[in-house]
Amino acid sequence: MKGTFFINGRKEEWSFAPDAVLLDVLRENGRTEVHRGCGEGACGSCAVVLDGTLVNSCQVFAASAQEKEILTVAGLGSIHSPHPLQAAFVETGAVQCGFCTPAMILAAYCLLKKTPNPTDDEIRRALDGNSCRCTGYVKIIEAVRLAARRMSSHD
Amino acid sequence: MTDFSVVGKPVLKVDSLSLACGAARYTADFEVKDPFYLVFFYSPHAHAEILSIDDGPARGMEGVVDVFHSGNTPSDLYTTAGQGYPEPSPYDTALFNKSVRYVGDIVGAVLAESPAAAREAAGAVRVEYRQLEPLFDPEKSMDPGVPCLHGDGAFAPLPVPYRPEENVAGEVLFSFGDVEKGFAEADFVEEETYRTHYTNHCAMEPHAATATFDEKGRLVIYSSTQVPFHARRTVSRVTGIPAHMIRVVKPRIGGGFGSKQEIILEPYVALAAWKYKRSVKAELSRHEVFTTARTRHPMRVRIKTGVKKDGTITALEMNDIMNTGAYGAHALTVLSNAGSKVLPMFNKIPNVSFTGRAVYTTLPVGGAYRGYGATQGYFAFNQHVDSICRKLGLDFVDYVKKWHIREGETSEVFKAIGEGTEGVSQIIKSCKLSECLDRGAEEIGWSRLRGKRITSGSWVKGVGAAVSMQGSGIPKVDMGSASMKMNDDGSFNLYVGATDIGTGSDTILSQIAAETLKVPVEMILILSSDTDLTPFDTGAYASSTTYVSGQAVLRCAGKIRDQILSAAAVLMGASADSLSLGDGGVVVNRKSGEEAPFSKIACFAMYSHDQFQIQAGASYTGDESPAPFMAHFAEVDVDLETGKVRLVKFVSAGDCGRPINPVLAEGQIEGATMNGISYALTEQYLFDPRGKMTNSSFWDYKIFGTLDMPEMKTILAESDEPTGPYGAKSISEIGINGPAPAIANAIFDATGRRIYDLPLTPEKVLAAIKGVK
Amino acid sequence: MNMVQWYFPETVDEAVALLGRERTIPHGGGTNLVKSGIASYSGVVDLARVPLNYLKTDRGILEIGANQTFASAAENLSNLYPGCILASALGSAASTPLRNRITMGGSASLFPLWSDLIGPMAVLEGEICTEGKNAGSFDLSTWLANRAVQKGTLITSLLFPDAFDWISAYYREVRVGFDYPAFTVSVLARKKGSRIERVRVALSGGADRVVRLTDLEEALNGADLSKVSSLDLRKMGTVRFGRKPAGSPEFLSEIAAVQVERCVKSALFREEETR
Repeated sequence: MKGTFFINGRKEEWSFAPDAVLLDVLRENGRTEVHRGCGEGACGSCAVVLDGTLVNSCQVFAASAQEKEILTVAGLGSIHSPHPLQAAFVETGAVQCGFCTPAMILAAYCLLKKTPNPTDDEIRRALDGNSCRCTGYVKIIEAVRLAARRMSSHD
Repeated sequence: MTDFSVVGKPVLKVDSLSLACGAARYTADFEVKDPFYLVFFYSPHAHAEILSIDDGPARGMEGVVDVFHSGNTPSDLYTTAGQGYPEPSPYDTALFNKSVRYVGDIVGAVLAESPAAAREAAGAVRVEYRQLEPLFDPEKSMDPGVPCLHGDGAFAPLPVPYRPEENVAGEVLFSFGDVEKGFAEADFVEEETYRTHYTNHCAMEPHAATATFDEKGRLVIYSSTQVPFHARRTVSRVTGIPAHMIRVVKPRIGGGFGSKQEIILEPYVALAAWKYKRSVKAELSRHEVFTTARTRHPMRVRIKTGVKKDGTITALEMNDIMNTGAYGAHALTVLSNAGSKVLPMFNKIPNVSFTGRAVYTTLPVGGAYRGYGATQGYFAFNQHVDSICRKLGLDFVDYVKKWHIREGETSEVFKAIGEGTEGVSQIIKSCKLSECLDRGAEEIGWSRLRGKRITSGSWVKGVGAAVSMQGSGIPKVDMGSASMKMNDDGSFNLYVGATDIGTGSDTILSQIAAETLKVPVEMILILSSDTDLTPFDTGAYASSTTYVSGQAVLRCAGKIRDQILSAAAVLMGASADSLSLGDGGVVVNRKSGEEAPFSKIACFAMYSHDQFQIQAGASYTGDESPAPFMAHFAEVDVDLETGKVRLVKFVSAGDCGRPINPVLAEGQIEGATMNGISYALTEQYLFDPRGKMTNSSFWDYKIFGTLDMPEMKTILAESDEPTGPYGAKSISEIGINGPAPAIANAIFDATGRRIYDLPLTPEKVLAAIKGVK
Repeated sequence: MNMVQWYFPETVDEAVALLGRERTIPHGGGTNLVKSGIASYSGVVDLARVPLNYLKTDRGILEIGANQTFASAAENLSNLYPGCILASALGSAASTPLRNRITMGGSASLFPLWSDLIGPMAVLEGEICTEGKNAGSFDLSTWLANRAVQKGTLITSLLFPDAFDWISAYYREVRVGFDYPAFTVSVLARKKGSRIERVRVALSGGADRVVRLTDLEEALNGADLSKVSSLDLRKMGTVRFGRKPAGSPEFLSEIAAVQVERCVKSALFREEETR
């Protein structure tokens, strides 16, 4: 089947199988910043922001995401113009292998949209679906704290 | 203390912005034209002989190109262990084995035009098996009458103990002094048996490999590997494709922890691509990573010491049986490390014996895993030391401080056990373990909490500690190399075979080069691991990169500095010894104060006079393997009614020499510690009675997430390792050794009960608590 | 090539008509369907545009539309009635990205063994409201006993006739924070002074999917708080379990009983009155 998706603000027409999940369709169309860690909704590496909320793209049928806004980490910022969260992850050393990072940043982004000054507990809750094996999460939490401080002081 | 401008600074990880923005690519992200897809099919039996394979129906399915299996694709025996050559692991596996030895053993592979077609066809291959008796208990592997798992020509390429007829995949024996005499001299003998369990690395990126062709028809393999050079060698050996026709490229890697020191997918994609001259992609699912790829070797560690009333240990005997599973990948060397990384810790014990055997079973295959045997050995060692202290009424921290190896001291163990060969004797030149213990104890509140059993309802508090040491590369085995050239703007390309798998080694090595040349780290343009472009390196394992590859970079950059100075001498009309490097990429004439920027010197060399490219290469092999040290402290609350263990706080205090980059060093400790914590508490392989793993998914194999974090504190106790680059030792592995014994010791502190088997599940803790009542 | 047809109805009637077709299933958030696969169906009815994403209360009656996600329901309930059992249960289920996708209707259609909805449903005596072939409202046990009732039928909402003004306690037995529970304990209570007016206790995850501990409830209903100490709550909270990855049947049975006791006491002896 064929469908329209709005990826990082850009309209895309993609064809896909009726039982394809969003993760596969994104990756097949070059959106390889969305990573497959388990394919069963349990690691969070494939998370994207779908119409404003964080979802595991491996648990969403592409058919059900038609006509919707999808944000990946590449839509948040770029090497030449990083989002404050991306910068904070870099500065705190929260990125090791980086495989979980795009989804982790999007999870933090969704948190800060709703809760600009989160407590540590709120940060931990917001990242509860995103596994990381490299960092022990310590510097990831620190990165979110730093970004929150910076983003709210800019308001 | 020497003043550094780049080393010791929290320089930003050079690839992290690219990773954070989703620009960096991993193996599966590379687009290749019209690829075929390779999907495997596996043994459902723990032990069986393949009688026949009917691939007819699969071949007839739409989109299917080929079906590979033992009936049509013979291969020489080899080892999947990505180690130096010849490998210390036995050659006991073929691409497609005629006998299968664990549930998940690769039986064949389907090549098809789409992943879906390949998957469907893989399910349609009919395999007829004759089931054989399985062997699940490693402690019975050597018994008479049990099935022999490798009776078909398996051999060890190195002259090491290997007796497949007894299911012995590796053996390590050594002793010094006279343990019987030592036991006789003791006031009491303490003997305990500990068991560690199967676990998985759980790198977030599953194994992947893509084979494609360059415009000259050479095979290019993108692989999620820790060992690109070993991968090329092994692929060539198994497939017969000449090595000069193979290029292995390591892109960004989504974590390894040892799992990708294994050559799993590369030979298969190479074989299929070479046959059809088409690109081939393969990617393991998470289930396959659990059931088919590698694990941490389970180990039974029996430890016996003779102890005098003052705490002096008169003799120590360690007897290990390690389960290597169906194949012997890393069997001998992981087993060796359970002795060689553990026993030097108490180097004053006069009588020591170590007996270790790695045995085959029909269970998943062990492999390299962060900690590499030391993790298993230290689980037993630290609890054993805690037991001794409890018996004698001594404080664990004081006791370890009294007896641990120190600067200027050695251990006979260093010389006795190597990795497949004899070891290398060495004197410890840096050790801040006592400082680690003091600072860690202070941070956890040791004197305030130890033995106090502070109670809140049914919850009781306890604290526990553990210590460990590791190495920095395998001495006289691991080799790293670097090459470097200078560009006309005064920047440098640095090419290293060292393989950054997320650890930050690209950054560390850039810092070492930048420090040596006194330029900002941005002026070092690093490229890591491409067998066509970068010089050889054994790879990212054995805690070797900072120490071994770092020395190669240091030497290489030193040669570059010398060339810059001699070119500058001509340019500036001064003698080279009156010149030195100033900060920020300049050469300074110390007498006149005149300065020449690097860009001018590079242009001078390239365009003006005796034209040449400022470039150099260097290699390094360590003569020794200085040990990093670490002390771990756990504060737990134990629920006496349910056996639940709540980890409240965890402290890791480590000596890694001078940390080249303290933030990255902390990151290594924190990651290893957290992995060690969930190794201790929740991670485990569950098997059904037929040897099939029943929890091969993150839904039932539980690793820690953000909700489970204790309060974490990381302390760096800096030392200066004289043999290391800028005083550095390794840091990547050691952090995983301490959590399990520290938590077990804390549970004992809270409950008075010791848990001898990992993981420390609530059910075991509750059973132990009830046993005491 | 998979030929499943997707439909995007905009009203309940349209959805119901589509669900009347052969081999056609409803799609809420999709988390169940992705697991089970849809290749064997001929039609999937996406409910996203059907106006069932609501949460409303009227004189103590709570109704949550089938399309409301766990995340939205938990957030809405926390704002309206902080501490109510449904907010605790739904807000701790699975993980953030999954709670953003799991819908009330999707969860009620399966009530998987590890459901965080089933315990609160049992104690709140919630009903599953449907339209279509088997239109009506069903209590939990009727619903669980007869899965065939769902054929050609659309879950439109979950109705809780007496949802608030309870003191509640909810416990989920998990190995790590992001886990499905091996069992859950749900307790509701109402007190007047030291008199226990009403207690409801449910245990899910045992050999039976969910059980109300009626002996325990009967012993406490109408009793004075002082009676609690004379009862063997653990014995009354002991049910049979099967083997699970979290432990043996005996172990799970034992610790579930401990948690039943703790939850009951926590609800009955809590100082402040919460919802």
